[in-house]
Amino acid sequence: MTCPSCGSTVPDSARFCESCGAQLGQPAVVPAAAGAPPPADHPLGDAPISAPTRKPVGFLADPPKAAGRRPCGECGGEVGPDLYCLACGTKAPSERDHFEEQPASWVAGVCDKAIGKSRNEDAMALLAGEAPGSRAVLVVLDGVSNSVDSDVASLAGARAAREVLRVPLPAGMGTPESRDAAVRKVFANAVAAANTAIVAVTDPDSPNPASATFSAAVLEGRRISWANIGDSRSYWIPDSGQPLQLSVDDSVAQEQIESGVAREVAETGPQAHAITKWLGRDAEDIVPSVGSREVEASGWLLTCSDGLWNYISAPEAMAAQVRATGTTTPLDLAQALVAFANASGGHDNITAALARVDVSDLGQNDRTPTPGGVPSDG
Amino acid sequence: MAEFSASVYQNEFLPDGGTDVNAIVTITCQGAGTAGQSGSGGAGEIIIVDTSGSMGPATMAAAKDAAQAALAEIVDGTWFAVIAGADRAMLAYPQVSSGPGMTKMDAQARQDASAAIGRFVGSGGTAISTWLDLAGQLFSSVTEITQRHVLLLTDGENRERPGRLDEAINRATGYYQADCRGAGTDWQVAEIRRIAQALLGTVDIIPSPAEMRAQFQDIMRKAMARGVADASLRVWTPQGAQVLFVRQVSPTVEDLSSRRTPVNPLTGDYPTGAWADESRDYHVAIRVPAKAIGQEQLAARVQLALGADVVTQGLVKATWSNNSELTTRIDQQVAHYTGQAELADAIQEGLAAKAAGDEATATTKLGRAVQLAAETGNDEATSKLRKVVDVDNEKEGTVRLKRTIEKADEMALDTASTKTTRIRKEPS
Ligand SMILES: [Zn+2]
Ligand SMILES: [Zn+2]
Repeated sequence: MTCPSCGSTVPDSARFCESCGAQLGQPAVVPAAAGAPPPADHPLGDAPISAPTRKPVGFLADPPKAAGRRPCGECGGEVGPDLYCLACGTKAPSERDHFEEQPASWVAGVCDKAIGKSRNEDAMALLAGEAPGSRAVLVVLDGVSNSVDSDVASLAGARAAREVLRVPLPAGMGTPESRDAAVRKVFANAVAAANTAIVAVTDPDSPNPASATFSAAVLEGRRISWANIGDSRSYWIPDSGQPLQLSVDDSVAQEQIESGVAREVAETGPQAHAITKWLGRDAEDIVPSVGSREVEASGWLLTCSDGLWNYISAPEAMAAQVRATGTTTPLDLAQALVAFANASGGHDNITAALARVDVSDLGQNDRTPTPGGVPSDG
Repeated sequence: MAEFSASVYQNEFLPDGGTDVNAIVTITCQGAGTAGQSGSGGAGEIIIVDTSGSMGPATMAAAKDAAQAALAEIVDGTWFAVIAGADRAMLAYPQVSSGPGMTKMDAQARQDASAAIGRFVGSGGTAISTWLDLAGQLFSSVTEITQRHVLLLTDGENRERPGRLDEAINRATGYYQADCRGAGTDWQVAEIRRIAQALLGTVDIIPSPAEMRAQFQDIMRKAMARGVADASLRVWTPQGAQVLFVRQVSPTVEDLSSRRTPVNPLTGDYPTGAWADESRDYHVAIRVPAKAIGQEQLAARVQLALGADVVTQGLVKATWSNNSELTTRIDQQVAHYTGQAELADAIQEGLAAKAAGDEATATTKLGRAVQLAAETGNDEATSKLRKVVDVDNEKEGTVRLKRTIEKADEMALDTASTKTTRIRKEPS
C-alpha cells in the first residue's frame, strides 16, 4: 500500500511508514479532547472552550507536502529512485532523516538527523495561518535515543499534539486566571494526545519503551503561549534587546542551575542530558509546565531540540547566532541554524522551528483576544 | 518473459581515507525461454566444421556425426547455416550463391543439411579468419536475425599471416557469439581462447573423437536456451570515481574492463552476450574520493540493460567508518573470486613459461596455482593441476613439474583455467 502521509510504498502488513514514521492502517489520531466538550465533572468543564463539530473558524490546515524529491544536498544533482544522487552518489536523507515544513511564508522548521547520528528521533509538526502574525503552532518532540522506535513515536506524538492545537487557544471566562487555566488545559490535552500516540506505537512487550520530550509554542497575534516536558525549548528572540528562554527544562542540569550552579557548568556536567520528565509508556508525570507572554517587538519565536541549543544554550548566545544570519525568512533561518549545529559537530538530532513576528503586521485588533470572545486568527 | 535480479556482496565499510570499493554482483535470469522465440527478433545458428587435410578419418567421422547431432538440437524456425572451413570457408548449407545465406530450420532442412555434412572431405589448410568472416556475412544476409551464435570446431593451428585472424576477430566482436572447440592436441589454446573470449563464448578441448557428439549437443542446447538476446552490464559510477576493473568471475573469469562502451560520462556498458536461465557473478572494483567518517555514498550502480531498458540493479556502497572491526573485514565472495582470478592467471602464466622453457617460473606459478585452487576449493583445477605437477605441499604451494605430461592434460588445464567455482552465499 501507499503511505497516506508521504506517498512511500510500504508493505501491506506495516504498522508504520519507514520513510516518514506515519502510523498506518487507521485514520490519524484525533483525540476527542480536541473537539468534544470536556466531561461535565471536570473542574473546567463549563469553561467556554470552543467545541466545534465542523471545520471551525481559525482551523489551520497541515503544511503542504513538498513536491518531488529535493535535489542532492552535496552537489545539487537529481536524486534517483534508489535515493542516491545520480551525479555524485551521495545518499539522500530519507524523508524521516531530514524534513522541512513551511505552513506559511512566516513559519517554517527543519528537522534533521545530524551528521553524528544514524537515525532522526526528533520530530516536528507545524501549523500556521496564511496572514503573517495571525496564528502559528510549533511542536517539537525529541525521542530518547536509547529506546526502541523513538523515531516513530516522536513523530506520531508531534502530529497528535498538532491535532489538538489546530484550533485557536481558548480565551477563558474573562479573567486572565481563567484564560490561563483554559490554555493550561488545552496544552495538557495536547501532551496527553502526544503521550497516547507514543504509547500506541510502542511495542507492549518492549523492555525499552519509546519516550520523548515535548515542547510546543503557539503564537496568536502578540501572544505567545508555550508548554514543556523535558529539555526541548522555546525562545523569544527579538531583533534587538533582551532575548528570553521561555520554557523551563525538566532536567538535572536545570535543577542544578536552580540550586546555584552556573549554567555552563550544569549543562556540561555528567548529568547534563538527564531529563526528569518525559512522555512514553513509563512516564510518571505528563503535566507540562506552561507559560505565556505578549511580545512588543519584531523577532523570532523559536522552538528547538537540544541538538541545536547544546551549542548555544544561553538566550544571548542563541540570539547572537540567529541575528548573525541576518535573514527574515524563517526557512532560511531554520536551515542556517541546523547547518550551524551540524558544523558544530552535529552530535544530536537537530530541530529548529520558527515563527517570524513583525509588529508592523499586527494591527490593534490582533492584540490579546478579547476575553470571552471568539479568538482572533487575523 | 525473462526476469532478472541482482544481489551485491561486499564490505561497504572503508577506513578513514579509504578509496577502493570491491563488490561481487550476482545477476540471475529466470524465464529466459528459447532463442529467437521472445518476439524481439530471430535467432541464427552457424556450425563451422574444420575440413582441412589435418582432420584424420576418425576425427572427421566424429565431427560429421557431432555436427549432425547439433542440427537436431536447433529448434525449428531458427535461421541456420553450415560452414566447411579449410584454407577458405565454404557455405556447405544452404547451397545458395545469392540472397540470404541462411535458411529456417525444419525437418527437410535438417535432413538436407545432414546430407551436406555427410559429404565433407578433409583437404587443404586452416585459415580461420575466412571462416569467421563468412559467418558474419551469412548473419548479415538475414536482417531479422538479432541473436547470432556460432559453434566452431578446429583441429589445427591457424596458418595465416600474423594479424589476419585478429582483424577477423575484431570484425566479429559485438556482432556474434562463438563457442569454440579444439579436437585433439594440434591446435593452440591461446589462439582459440582469443576468439572465444572476444566473442563471449567458451573454449574447451575435445581430446577424443568419442566425446565430440555430446559436447556439440550440449553447446547447441545451451545456445537454444538463451532466450534473452544481447544484454549489457551497465555500470554507473559517481563523478570523480574511477572504474579499476569490471570482471565476470563466474562461471568463468573474463576481464571486461577494456570492453566498455560509454553510455554517458558516468556510465558504461560491458557486453554480456545472450542469457539463458542462469546466474553470473561480476567483480567490480571502484575507486572513489574518500569522504568523512560516517558518510555513506553510492560507489556504483551495477545494472543489466536490455537495449535501453534497465531490468535489474545492484547498489555498491561505500561507508566510511572508524570502527576497524567493520573496515578490516574482507567479504568472502570478494576474497574467493580475487583468488579465482589469480588462479586463472597463475595457470596460464605457468603453462606459458613452461612452453617457453622457463621451468623455474613455471614451477613457481603452477605451485601458486595449486595453493590457490586448494584455498578456493576449485577441485576441477586441483585435479587438472595434479596431472601436470607433482605436489610436495599443497598449502605452501611447493610443486615439481612432472617429467612426462600428456599434451591433452596440459591443454585441458589451460582451457579450464578460467572456470571458477562458487561458494555458498549470504547476502551482506
Ligand atoms: Zn510515510
Ligand atoms: Zn549529488
